[in-house]
Amino acid sequence: MTPPEVMLAVKVLFGAPVAAILFGFFVMRRVKPEWTHLPILASCAAVTAAAACLAAYTTAKHCLELPVWTWAVAGDWGVAFGLRIDGPSSAILAMVAFVGSLIHVYAAAYMKGDKGFARFFLVFHLFFLAMIGLLTANDYLQLYLFWELVGVSSYLLIGFWYHKESARKAALKAFMTNRIGDLGFLIAVLMMIYAYRSTRLQTVYEFMAAKPSIYTSIIALGLVWAAFAKSAQWPLYYWLPDAMEGPTPTSALMHAATMVTAGVFLLIRSWPIISAVDGLPQLIAWTGALTSLGAAIIAGTKKDIKRILAYSTVSHLGLMMLAVGLGELGTAAYHLIVHGFFKAALFLCAGNIAHAFHQSTANVDETGGLRREMPFTYGCFLAAALSLAGAPLFAGFFSKDAILDAAWHHGGGLRVIGMLIAFGSAFYIFRMLFLVFHGDRKEQSRGGRHPHEAGPEFVLPIFALSFGAVVLGHGSIREWVSNLMTYGMRGVPMVLIRLKPYFDLPGEPALPALNWTVSAFGTVLALLGAGAAYYLTMVDSGWDWRWRGGFAEAVFESDFGYKIIVGWGARAVSWTARFTGRVLDKNWWDGLLESSSDVLREAGNALASSAQGRVNDYLWWMLAGSAVLLGRVLR
Amino acid sequence: MSMPLTALWTVPLLGALVCAFLGSKARYGALAFSSAFLALAGGISYLQGSPSALAVLTETGPQWAYGVCYRLSADSLSLGLIGLTAFLNLICVAASWDLKVSAGYWACFLALASALTGVFLARDLFFFYAFWEATLIPMFFIIGLWGSSGRLHAAVKFFLFTFAGSVFMLLALLALVSAHHRVTGVWTWDLGSLDPKTLGAAAPYVFWGLVLGFAVKIPMVPLHTWLPDAHTEAPAAGSVMLAGVMLKMGVYGLLRVAIPLFPDLSVEMYPILGGLAALSTVYGALCAMAQTDLKRLIAYSSIAHLGFCLLGVLSRTSQGLSGGTLQLVNHGLTTGALFLMVGFLYERSHKRGLSDFGDLASRAPYLAFFFGFATLASIGLPGLNGFVGEFMSLSGAMSAPFPIFAFVGCLGVTLAAAYALPAFQVVFWSPAGPDSVSAKVSDLDFRERAILWILCGLMLWIGLAPKPWLAWFEPALRGLVR
Repeated sequence: MTPPEVMLAVKVLFGAPVAAILFGFFVMRRVKPEWTHLPILASCAAVTAAAACLAAYTTAKHCLELPVWTWAVAGDWGVAFGLRIDGPSSAILAMVAFVGSLIHVYAAAYMKGDKGFARFFLVFHLFFLAMIGLLTANDYLQLYLFWELVGVSSYLLIGFWYHKESARKAALKAFMTNRIGDLGFLIAVLMMIYAYRSTRLQTVYEFMAAKPSIYTSIIALGLVWAAFAKSAQWPLYYWLPDAMEGPTPTSALMHAATMVTAGVFLLIRSWPIISAVDGLPQLIAWTGALTSLGAAIIAGTKKDIKRILAYSTVSHLGLMMLAVGLGELGTAAYHLIVHGFFKAALFLCAGNIAHAFHQSTANVDETGGLRREMPFTYGCFLAAALSLAGAPLFAGFFSKDAILDAAWHHGGGLRVIGMLIAFGSAFYIFRMLFLVFHGDRKEQSRGGRHPHEAGPEFVLPIFALSFGAVVLGHGSIREWVSNLMTYGMRGVPMVLIRLKPYFDLPGEPALPALNWTVSAFGTVLALLGAGAAYYLTMVDSGWDWRWRGGFAEAVFESDFGYKIIVGWGARAVSWTARFTGRVLDKNWWDGLLESSSDVLREAGNALASSAQGRVNDYLWWMLAGSAVLLGRVLR
Repeated sequence: MSMPLTALWTVPLLGALVCAFLGSKARYGALAFSSAFLALAGGISYLQGSPSALAVLTETGPQWAYGVCYRLSADSLSLGLIGLTAFLNLICVAASWDLKVSAGYWACFLALASALTGVFLARDLFFFYAFWEATLIPMFFIIGLWGSSGRLHAAVKFFLFTFAGSVFMLLALLALVSAHHRVTGVWTWDLGSLDPKTLGAAAPYVFWGLVLGFAVKIPMVPLHTWLPDAHTEAPAAGSVMLAGVMLKMGVYGLLRVAIPLFPDLSVEMYPILGGLAALSTVYGALCAMAQTDLKRLIAYSSIAHLGFCLLGVLSRTSQGLSGGTLQLVNHGLTTGALFLMVGFLYERSHKRGLSDFGDLASRAPYLAFFFGFATLASIGLPGLNGFVGEFMSLSGAMSAPFPIFAFVGCLGVTLAAAYALPAFQVVFWSPAGPDSVSAKVSDLDFRERAILWILCGLMLWIGLAPKPWLAWFEPALRGLVR
């Protein structure tokens, strides 16, 4: 890659989506709305090619920091936007571009005939563009800009079918929760400007190397809080399971490529800051581990197939957070990439099923035995599920076991939780697989519908994704990702003591070698999980319907009671708002002010016999009072 | 033209007089004079030279009794706000084009523009006060004559509240001028030559008198209760001018009069004033969440937005001053656009309650697009204009003492989404209820779309490249940094 080629790739990376969106909005949407996807798919191809070029560029051990334009200046304060193409950004960008493009292809088929086809594709691509911008930002403020743009695009996509009340509520919930998280980001960025007079990544890193201070803790906490909202970690995870109200391609894009990975990416990017704060990595690790375990358990109890996958995403994001918290950034990024493939494949399979049922999602009550009607979807789902469960030699095996290995080495509770997650993941995904594709249960009824296999325009993107979910575990790819993560921190000052163990290891990849003990344990537990799922769905096939009702279901439906607490919080805020707006402001304060002028008028009427009009009275009384005041002031 | 600044405020005034006699053709006169006014403001700004080295134009007339002297001056702050006035005035004329109103309506808008321009130009405090009060008269009529059902009460309340505030300002000015005369023996109302040190121990009273006058206008919590009523009852274009420019007079007064005269006091009083500004951001947002009337909701959001301006300006840091000042323009564009769209809704359906509508995204997609766009700008989405001002104001407050105000302001940013998006959803996304008037709402026509394209285009421009806009105001603010 010569420098001009790199520049061209960078220009294409942004130019193509912007041009496609503008052209789609101003021209295609009016002229031929059902063709809006064509320029956008072309842009996807261009972006994927550009991302591949940039990945090759960073693989050759180059980094790029490119100033683009000065956003704002005031006094000694300034923010300049630019691009930073380094290991973490290009590795994740390559996955986002590839997976995102495949989902675009799928969406073209899935959304065909929808009234809002053009609107969908424009916002969908904006979502994609926002993620590209987020990954290549070289400045925290710029990152924040795209971070919020991701939030808005997701809001518009979750609420895409706005006639459904559930979609409207879910969209608002997602946006508000992310907004609460963004509060942390905003404070962090403000604090950076205050403490370092800069928000540029490199400058902040250098400051971190020089001297962490009290501000560092606030900045790091703010960023972690923001990441927890975006990447759906406790206590801000609750928006994600509802977010599947959008069209299925949205869920696939959001869960696999563009949205929830942003939080993990932010933490990888901010690792020099986070690692400088005592105890914060442990906090991230434990939050991730507990969120992951809790979500895995709940995923095993859900009936809506997209909701199972949504909790599964929360669980896997928890695993990535665990890896980040343990300092295994390469592992986290690797799992993020692998997860992008298998989760996109799983969601698109769920989309095939929903499409076959002519619904926006499907429920395990309606499915069962679908492998006969939808063999291809079944095959892809099985491959992706095996990858998710960590079956040996599938990609998920390598990425998940690397995290389990890290937890194993950390020891203590995390070791146990890691293994429990391995069991839980296998259980929920195989429970779903069996309930959806296998068996003939009396509890399940198709309701007279006759599902059929989706056409090639549906299955080809899924095939590519599940192929990735199988082969990405190949040694060369693992090495590539781990190398990229190592080079990624080029330019990060290595004087930062805490960073040293992770990044300053010449020649050693950031991914640990396979640990056979951990793999054996993990595989056995995954097998146990799958076996338990088999027993409870195929052997004792009515179990899933039998245990429901009563306290146990209430516990799982309310996410162990946490949803109730969130509901209280939301109600408390709206009560405060109603009290402030209607009672305090309108009745009390404004009422008092209005009645005081009545009192004045009455007094004026009583005292001034020549009182004619209201306005005059007020004014004269005011003037008189003011004159007294003036007299006092001047004396 | 030998007296460009005089021309700047007399052209719209002349327009007002001409329009008053044009009868049913008045709107053409209004369009012509508003365009001429905008061209004049733009031309003067352009001829002033490059933004970094803005020359300050000055015009001085002869001395009158008691030192009153016709003295106008225009630096980048004045010219920026005059530009905003002229721009929004033309937008208002264009937006009201199809209204069946008498000639007085158009005359009032031009008269208002003239008085506002005078406020931004005057450097003699007597004229400053005269123009300040003169703005009340056309606005009183705009609300009282062309408003909706509760217009009379709202107009009187508006007049009394702001007039009561102005009385304190007048007293403060009188005290300042007479103290200056007592000590130096010279009568003057010249902002540049008045010496506040002559006040001695009375200085804090005078400072608070000025601040009270400005704070009512801004309006700062707890002096804000006239605003929701005035906005709700005013015609759409009246709300645009009220929110877009008249509220800005308060912040302008702080920047032009109170802070330069009392630089130390304004720093000393920052814990109180900054605290109230931070409170405004949260309080305005909370109140807005409770509203069921679209215009009231936007009015309360104005209180929150002006809280950010105030916080930035009062922090007296370079980014706070720049951001707070830019936020004046931003708020004019964003809130102006929102008020206009509510006005378009009202023209079609004669309703403005949230629950009177529903499903408008399907029935009026253009309106939904523009309303959504302006809503996002209003809640401070990065990349649009609102964020620039809010962020820089907060950043300024963070660098000032009491960074807690900045944290409170951040909470205000978060809460903004909690009132704006639910309102958007109810009006545009929810299904239309049985009593809904959505069926009467036709989508925007070409004229309305053109207006909103201009406004939204500016929002995006300022959001993506605020640098030239900040640079424009910077020379006038440089001297105010603490």
